[in-house]
Amino acid sequence: MELFDFYDQDRWPHVFCPGCGNGTVMNCFFRAFNEMGWKLDNTVFVSGIGCSSRIPLYINSDAIHTTHGRAIAVATGLKLSRPELDVVVFTGDGDLGAIGGNHFINGCRRNVDLDVICINNNIYGMTGGQASVTTPHDYISTTTPFGSKEYPFDLAELAVAAGANYVARWTTRHVHELTKSIKRSLEKKGFNFVEVVSQCPTNFGRRNKMADPSALLDWFKESSVRRDKVRAAAIDHVDLNLAGQITTGEFVCRDRECYHEKKGGGAHRDGH
Amino acid sequence: MRPGIDLRYCKGCNICVYMCPKQCFSNGADLSVQGYFPAIVTAPEKCFNYGRTEKLICELCVLSCPDQAITWEPEPEEEEEKDADQTG
Repeated sequence: MELFDFYDQDRWPHVFCPGCGNGTVMNCFFRAFNEMGWKLDNTVFVSGIGCSSRIPLYINSDAIHTTHGRAIAVATGLKLSRPELDVVVFTGDGDLGAIGGNHFINGCRRNVDLDVICINNNIYGMTGGQASVTTPHDYISTTTPFGSKEYPFDLAELAVAAGANYVARWTTRHVHELTKSIKRSLEKKGFNFVEVVSQCPTNFGRRNKMADPSALLDWFKESSVRRDKVRAAAIDHVDLNLAGQITTGEFVCRDRECYHEKKGGGAHRDGH
Repeated sequence: MRPGIDLRYCKGCNICVYMCPKQCFSNGADLSVQGYFPAIVTAPEKCFNYGRTEKLICELCVLSCPDQAITWEPEPEEEEEKDADQTG
C-alpha cells in the first residue's frame, strides 16, 4: 500500500503550518504501520487537544477526539473493554505532559497495551505559542518574553521511571530511526512510548531566531546526542535541552506484564 | 524512480532542500495556486534511486515531507533513449 492509502485524501492539504513536523511523524508512523501489516479496520486512534492531536482526523480510520489531556484515560478504557482492537494514541507535549501528566504516569504504571506517540514541539503551538512544560530553559515564548526560567520536563525519563515497556526519543531529523522505533513499539505489548521532538517554526522557531524549518532541523541535528554514546562516554546523564542537548535513542525495552493479561488473585491471597 | 513534487500539496517549507544529501531539490520562485512557493526538482538524476524501480533507498525526502507532496515517479528519459536508438 502507498502511504496515501491510509490518509483521508478529501481533507488534503491538511491545516498544519508550512514546515510543521506533524506530517513527518505521520509518514514515519504509517511506514511502520504498513511494514507491520496492521489494518486500519482494526485500529483506533485516540487523541486529545492540540496541533498533534489533529492527526487522527486525517486518517481513514475510527478515531476518538477526547477532551484536553484525557487521551490516555479514554484509550485505557477502550483497550480494556475491546482488547481485540489496536489502540494508538497521538498526543502532544502540552496534552500529555502538562494537563494529562497524571494520566500519563498512571498509564505507564498500569502498563495497558497502548502505543503512545508524543509529538513534542516545545511550545503550546495551537493557542499562540505559550510556554509549555517542555520549553527549553532560556528560550522565548509569548508568556516568557525574557526567556523561560523553568527547566523542561524530560518525558521519556519520566516514562522510564513510571514503568513503561518501551521508551524511545527521536527528532523529526531522524526519520529512519524514528520509523524503526515506531515499528518496534508496535511490535511490543504493553505501554509503549515514543517521543518525537518536532519543529514548530510558526510559534517556537520564529521567536527564537529559527524561523526557517531547516534551521530548527539543523538545531536538532547539532544538539542530538545518542543515548548509547552517552553511556559509552560514561557521562552520567544528559537532560533534554538542559545543556542544549537532546538525548535520543531507545531508553528502555522490557517485558512487564500487561494490565489485562494479569492473572486473578493477589500475591497475599493464600496467606490470609 | 525520481522524486516528484505535487504542487497541490506543497507548502514551500523547503525541508526537502535541507534534507536531500544529493541536492536534488532547490528553492522555488514561482507562486503556486495555493499561494506558496513550492520547491522544484532541479537535479533528479543525482538521486540515489534514479534508475531503480524497487528496493528504494534513502527516501529522506518522502519520509520528511510534512505535506506528503513528494512521490516517486518513473523517469521520462527512458523513452528518449529508445527514440535515440531508433534514429541511430
